[in-house]
Amino acid sequence: MSTSKISMPKFNLRDKFGDWWEGTTRNQRIIFRVSLIAFFYILPFLDNPVFGTTESDFSSVLFYPMGMYVLMAIGLNIVVGKSGILDLGYVAFFAIGAYTHAILALSFGFNFWVNVVLGMAFAMFAGVLLGLPALRLRGDYLAIITLGFGEIVRIVAINVNFTGGAAGLAGIPAPPNIFGVEFLVDDPRPYYWLVLTLTLLVIWAYMRLIKRRPGRAWEAIREDEDVAEFMGIATTKYKLWAFVLGGAIGGGAGAVYASQVTSIVPELFDLNVSIMILACVVFGGMGNLWGVAFGAALLGYFPEKLRFLSDTRILFFGLLMVVMMNIRPDGIIPRKKREKVYDKNTGKEVSR
Amino acid sequence: MDFSIVVSEFASLFLDGIVVGAIYALVALGYTLVYGVLRLINFAHSEIFMLGTFACLGVTMLLGYTGFEEPIGIGLFLVTFILITFVAAVASGSAAMLLEVVAYRRLRRKGANRLSSLISAIGASFFLVELFRLMTDSKDWDFPRLLDKNSLFEVSSAYVTADKLVVLIGAFGLMFALDRIIQGTRLGRGIRAVSQDEKTAVLMGVDVDKVIAFTFLLGGILAGVASSFYMLFYEATKFNVGFLLGISAFTAAVLGGIGNIRGALAGSFALGLIQQFSSAILGYNWRDVVTFLILVLVLLFKPTGLFGEAIQRARV
Amino acid sequence: MSDRLLEVRNLTMQFGGVTALSEVNLYVSKGEIAALIGPNGAGKTTVFNVTTGYYTPSSGEVLLNNESIVGLKPHKIARKGLARTFQNVRLFGDMTALENVMTGADSRNKVGLIGSMFGTAQSRRDEESSHLKAAELLNFMGISHRGGQLARNLPYGDQRRLEIARALALDPKVLLLDEPAAGFNPQEKVELGELIKKIRDAGFAVLLIEHDMSLVMKISDRVSVLDFGQKIAEGTPSEVQNNQRVIDAYLGVADHAS
Repeated sequence: MSTSKISMPKFNLRDKFGDWWEGTTRNQRIIFRVSLIAFFYILPFLDNPVFGTTESDFSSVLFYPMGMYVLMAIGLNIVVGKSGILDLGYVAFFAIGAYTHAILALSFGFNFWVNVVLGMAFAMFAGVLLGLPALRLRGDYLAIITLGFGEIVRIVAINVNFTGGAAGLAGIPAPPNIFGVEFLVDDPRPYYWLVLTLTLLVIWAYMRLIKRRPGRAWEAIREDEDVAEFMGIATTKYKLWAFVLGGAIGGGAGAVYASQVTSIVPELFDLNVSIMILACVVFGGMGNLWGVAFGAALLGYFPEKLRFLSDTRILFFGLLMVVMMNIRPDGIIPRKKREKVYDKNTGKEVSR
Repeated sequence: MDFSIVVSEFASLFLDGIVVGAIYALVALGYTLVYGVLRLINFAHSEIFMLGTFACLGVTMLLGYTGFEEPIGIGLFLVTFILITFVAAVASGSAAMLLEVVAYRRLRRKGANRLSSLISAIGASFFLVELFRLMTDSKDWDFPRLLDKNSLFEVSSAYVTADKLVVLIGAFGLMFALDRIIQGTRLGRGIRAVSQDEKTAVLMGVDVDKVIAFTFLLGGILAGVASSFYMLFYEATKFNVGFLLGISAFTAAVLGGIGNIRGALAGSFALGLIQQFSSAILGYNWRDVVTFLILVLVLLFKPTGLFGEAIQRARV
Repeated sequence: MSDRLLEVRNLTMQFGGVTALSEVNLYVSKGEIAALIGPNGAGKTTVFNVTTGYYTPSSGEVLLNNESIVGLKPHKIARKGLARTFQNVRLFGDMTALENVMTGADSRNKVGLIGSMFGTAQSRRDEESSHLKAAELLNFMGISHRGGQLARNLPYGDQRRLEIARALALDPKVLLLDEPAAGFNPQEKVELGELIKKIRDAGFAVLLIEHDMSLVMKISDRVSVLDFGQKIAEGTPSEVQNNQRVIDAYLGVADHAS
C-alpha cells in the first residue's frame, strides 16, 4: 500500500522558515534568538523616515500602542485563541491593573514593582470571581457576560470615589530606577524596554505551557469541549486557568501603562480597548503566538504610520479589518500546525 | 437611594419603561433575527440604527426644518413622520443588506470560523462610526420638535404625551406585522426553517442566501423605524448613539433568549422597565451596571433567557 | 460479582416527560466484549451518555468497579476508567494524531499547570510517559505513521482508529465503542473485528454499540438488546438471534405493550 495522497507543496514562507529552523543546530538557534531579542531592544534607536513613524515619536509608538497591544494580545490569545473562550471584556483586567498601581502608589506610597505584582494578583482574583460562574456558559453568552464585566468595571470607576470618579487620577508615580535606567516622563524608551522584557517573560512561560499538558488541554477544549471532558480533562479548571492567566497579563500591562501615562480616567478603559485587542488576536492568527504578536504590532503601527491620513485613519483601519478578514479569515499567520507525514512501511518522513 | 419615588412615580416610570422598551424591542429583533439564521451576533447592527437616526435628521433638513419651529399639526405631522420613518427604514434596510454582503457573505461561504465574522463585523462597525463621526463633526445633533409634547391626559403620575403614544402604537403595529411576515409568508417560513436547521432547510429547497439577505433587510428596516421613534422621543443623536442603545437592545435580546422573537420582545420591555426603576432608585449613573448585573444573574441561573424551554422550542 | 467492571442497575432516564431509558440493567465483565444492539432511537447512545456522566440519570445506579459513579463529572469518570468513542467521529481536528492520543494519556498524570510552566522533574517524566504511551497506542492501532498529521486530514478509517487509540490512552477498565464500524466496507469491518478482539485480549473490557449484526455476532461474548428504552433480551449471540421479541423489534412489529 502506498502512502495516502499528499497535496502538492505550495510555496509558503512559514513552512520554509520551519524547515530551515528544524535544520539549525543548537548554537545557531541561540544566535538567532539572541540577535532577534537584541534587535527589539535597540529598535528605539532605529527611527528613520522609512521605518519609523514620522508624525509621532517612534519610541513612544513602540511603547503604546505597539508594545502594549503585543503584550495584551498575547495574554488574550491564551483565552480566545488557545482555549476558544470569547472574551469581550479584556479591558477590565487592564483597568484593574492600572487602578491598582495608581491607587496604591498615590494613597499608600507602594512601590511600582509591588504594584505590578498586586495588579496581576487582583486581576487574577477578579478573573476567578467572574470566571467561576461565567465559564459554565458557552459562546455568545460568555461573550456578552465578559463584555458586561468590562463595562461594569469602567462604570464603577466613574461612580465611586476612590478611583477619582470621572476625573480619574493624576500624578501617578513612575517606576523607580532599575539598573541605572531612569523612568522619565519625556522618555518612553525605558517603558518600552520594560514592556519588551515583560513580553519576553510571558512568551517564555507561554511556550512552556503550550508545548506541554496545559497546551494540549486548552486546544482540546477549543476543538470540542464535551469530548475534552470525556477524555479526562478537567475542562472547567483549565478554562479558568486560561482566563485567569490572560487576566494577569492584562493586569500587569495596565500597571505599566498607568506608570507611563501618569494620569488615567475611566474613559480610557472602554469597550474599544477590548475590541482592539481582540482584533489584534484574530487579525494576527488566533492561537498562533507569533501571528498574534505580529498582528498586534501591525495594528498598533499602522494608525500611527498612517498619520498623514490624520482623522480618517480609523476609517481606513475599519475597512482594512473587513477586507483582511475576507481575504485571510484565519489571520496573517494562521495557527495551522506543520504536519509531518511518514511512510507507512519505512517509517521515514516523506518529503512534502 | 430613594425607594419612595418608586411608589409616587410608579405610573410615570412604568410608561417610560414601556416606551423605551418598545424602541429596544425593534432593535433587539434585528439582533435576534440575525442570530436565529446565522448563529452570530451582528456586531454592526447598532450602527445600522445610528445610520437611521441621521437619515431621519437628513429628511427634516431637506424639508427645511431648522429646529426652531413650532410643533406642527397632527395631519401634517403624520405625513411628515411617515415620510421620515420610511426614508430611515429604506436607508437602514439597504445598509443592513449591504453589510451582509460586504462583511458576512464571503466568510460564510468559506465556512470561516465565527470569530472571523465577528471581527469583520467589528471592522464594519468601526468604519460606520468613524464615517459618521467625520461627517457630523462629532457634534450632538438636535432633531426638530415635530409634536407638541404637552400631556394629553394623565394616568396617576404618568403624563401621556403624543410622542409616547406614537411610539407605542407604531411599535406594536410593527411587531404584529413582523409576526405576520414570519408566520405567513414564504420568506418568513424560510427564516424559520433556516433558524431551526440550516442543512435540512437547504435540502428542502430553501434558498439560504436569499433568506439571510431578507433577514438582514427585515432587521435593518426595524432598526430604521426604531431610529425614527428614537428621534421623536429623545430628539437628539450623535455618531456614537448606537453603542449604548445597541448594548441595551442586545442585552434585551439575550435576556429573552437570543434567537427567540417573543423572548426579544419580552426581554426588551422587561429591560426598559428595569432601567427606569433602577435609575429612579440608584441614579442614572448606575443604570448600565444594574442592566449588566441582571443580565449576568439571568444567564447564570437561566442561561436560555427568561423564557427557557417552552418558548425556546417554538423559537422562530 | 466482583468481575463485573461496569454495572448499570435499574437505569431510567427521562427528558422532560419523554422516557429514553426505562429500568435498564446491563453489565460488562472482565475480559469480555459485550454488545448493545437495538433499532434506531432505542436509547443505546443514551446509555453511553448516562454512564459517562454527560447526563445524570433520573433514577438507577451506575457502578464502575463496584463503586457508584452517578453524579460525578465526566472527566472524573473518565479518569476512574471509563473511556468512549463517538458515533460520528469527534477528534480534536486541529491537533496532530499523536497529540490527540496524548490528551487521553495526560489524564493519568499528576503534573499541573504550575509544574508544567517551571518544567519540574515530575512534568518532564509525565511528558515523556504521555508521549511514549501515545506512540505505543498509535502503533497498536497500526497508525503510527499518522502521528504527525492533523487529525482532520486523516482518512476516515484512520480517524476511527485514532479515536479508539485516544480512548485507550486513558487506560480504561471498560471501553465504550459507539458504532465503530459505521461507514466501513466489509473488508474493513473484518479488520475492525480483529482489532476489537485484540483490544479485549490486551485486557480491556469492551461495551460495543453496533448496527452491523454479522460483526456483533462474530466477536461478542454477550449481547443485550434495547428497544424503546427497555432491555428486551440478553444472552449469547445465538440465543439473541433466535429470540422472537428481538426479531419482532427489528422487523418493526409493535409489541412493547407487554
